[in-house]
Amino acid sequence: MKRSKSLKLALMGATILTMTACDNPDEVAAIFEDVDECAKYEGQDLDQCRQGWEEAKQEHIRTAPKYTSVADCQADFGEGQCEQAPQQTTSGGSVFMPMMMGYMMGSMLSGGGRSNVATQPLYRSADDPKTFRTGDNQKVSSKTGVQKVPSTVTSRPTTKTSTVRRGGFGTTAARTTSSTRSYGG
Amino acid sequence: MIRISIAERENWQDLAKEVGFQFHTIDGEKYWDESACYRFTLEQIENHIEDPTAELEAMCFQVVDRVVNDESLLEKLAIPPFYWDYVRSSWQNRDKNLYGRMDFSYDGTGPAKLLEYNADTPTSLYESAAFQWVWMEQAMEQGLIPPDCDQYNSIHEQLISAFSNMGVKGTLHMAACQGSLEDEGTVMYMEECATQAHVQTHFIHMEEIGIDAEGRLTDLQDNVITDLFKLYPWEWMMRDEFGEAMPKSGVRFIEPAWKSILSNKGILPLLWDMFEGHPNLLPAYFMEDAHKLSGAYAKKPIYSREGAGVSIHDDGKTLEEVKGPYGEEGHIVQALHPLPTFEGNHTVIGSWLVASQPCGLGIREDVSAITKDTSRFVPHVIRD
Repeated sequence: MKRSKSLKLALMGATILTMTACDNPDEVAAIFEDVDECAKYEGQDLDQCRQGWEEAKQEHIRTAPKYTSVADCQADFGEGQCEQAPQQTTSGGSVFMPMMMGYMMGSMLSGGGRSNVATQPLYRSADDPKTFRTGDNQKVSSKTGVQKVPSTVTSRPTTKTSTVRRGGFGTTAARTTSSTRSYGG
Repeated sequence: MIRISIAERENWQDLAKEVGFQFHTIDGEKYWDESACYRFTLEQIENHIEDPTAELEAMCFQVVDRVVNDESLLEKLAIPPFYWDYVRSSWQNRDKNLYGRMDFSYDGTGPAKLLEYNADTPTSLYESAAFQWVWMEQAMEQGLIPPDCDQYNSIHEQLISAFSNMGVKGTLHMAACQGSLEDEGTVMYMEECATQAHVQTHFIHMEEIGIDAEGRLTDLQDNVITDLFKLYPWEWMMRDEFGEAMPKSGVRFIEPAWKSILSNKGILPLLWDMFEGHPNLLPAYFMEDAHKLSGAYAKKPIYSREGAGVSIHDDGKTLEEVKGPYGEEGHIVQALHPLPTFEGNHTVIGSWLVASQPCGLGIREDVSAITKDTSRFVPHVIRD
């Protein structure tokens, strides 16, 4: 057969020829507060616990929500829950971020193969301190251990920045063609 | 290869509307046309389209390998010198490519002749991969065509597998220009494929992309863009204001920068130079060597899309011409191999590659000898 065996299209809201919907398959993730807790958990390996922690720490510096005032940070994450970030503002001012309260990584217990879970730091917000959240404020879980989490929270956290200018792409298209049907060929 | 008139599915406009295929009719003229289909034998598909496509792709890689190491050729292809190192390293790093479409003149008796290679921003993807596939399933179900038809079309499956092999770690931003319903539709379809490959996507218009103080590209929520699929040609990105930020932006682009060589009509004379006489190639030259060509020829801007700026000449006369804004970067000439006509329609074969693997077919028809953006899309089947 020279054609696709099945074709599932949920294009733009509508669903035709649907097989079974599998929009948000869960992922198996390991969530711990620190290396000790991880190492004590059955089936976890100390080296991997450490390595995951180191990776999450790096991601923490890169992707933790950043604030220019410690008060703003504490308003979101609670009294005494913020620390100074290594970054500085362009004018040399201090930058603050919440402390890393735990970390998430792929689990060796998920049955072999590659894990889709990106190792990353977890946080707790002031208004919902029981729940671990990702750097972009998505709820992950309220407990530690190896568990299923929605695949929407397992991707690598994005880096926030400040845009200085927009509109620098697309000008050649506007200049070159009057047709707006397609810019492809 | 024959053209067969058949009945349309009664409800196809509703279906198109339902799945968001909004550009099936253009300025009141039919674009998606299922009042006919083309029928191929398996041998025609495999021996005359699929195998030559794979072989040409391998030849194209040899051309890229030569061009990145020859600055006179990079100049001939009008790639701005600022990007030469960038294009070269994207090739040397073997940055993964997603898709492309080779256009052939082919009448069923072979050999198919390569007219051009849309290697960077090929369109008609959704029609080829999805709407054509659904058409056949339903046409068989409704008894409009025999129930034992097949189709050369695993594009959808291959796209999903290519997306999952891309190694996108975070979010894949996917961009099209503002104001093109067709391009946005195509990108939405690709987002669907990426999502099925468990790649997280985020749509943005090209015009909305920002830049931060460190020269990184950003989306409207101030997230740093790390992976960007762009339905927007490399040669334009290189001439846009933000273009010079690309090499240091840390962004992995899909298609990669080396596709700027393959999407250039200048590869046609280079292919001929390296593989003269190959059965799937037509003689082609840069303008300064145009005298080497005898007989009728097509003149094409090295940057051109959807037939714009292409003209057909014979004996000093211009026989046909599609006006277009392209051409300031130069032209090439290619021996004329007229498109076959089926019941008065000029037919061009689009042969799809995903991750450089041939995997499907889309047919466009036009009443004139040069297919262009309004040429109708006609589905096909394989049945011996």
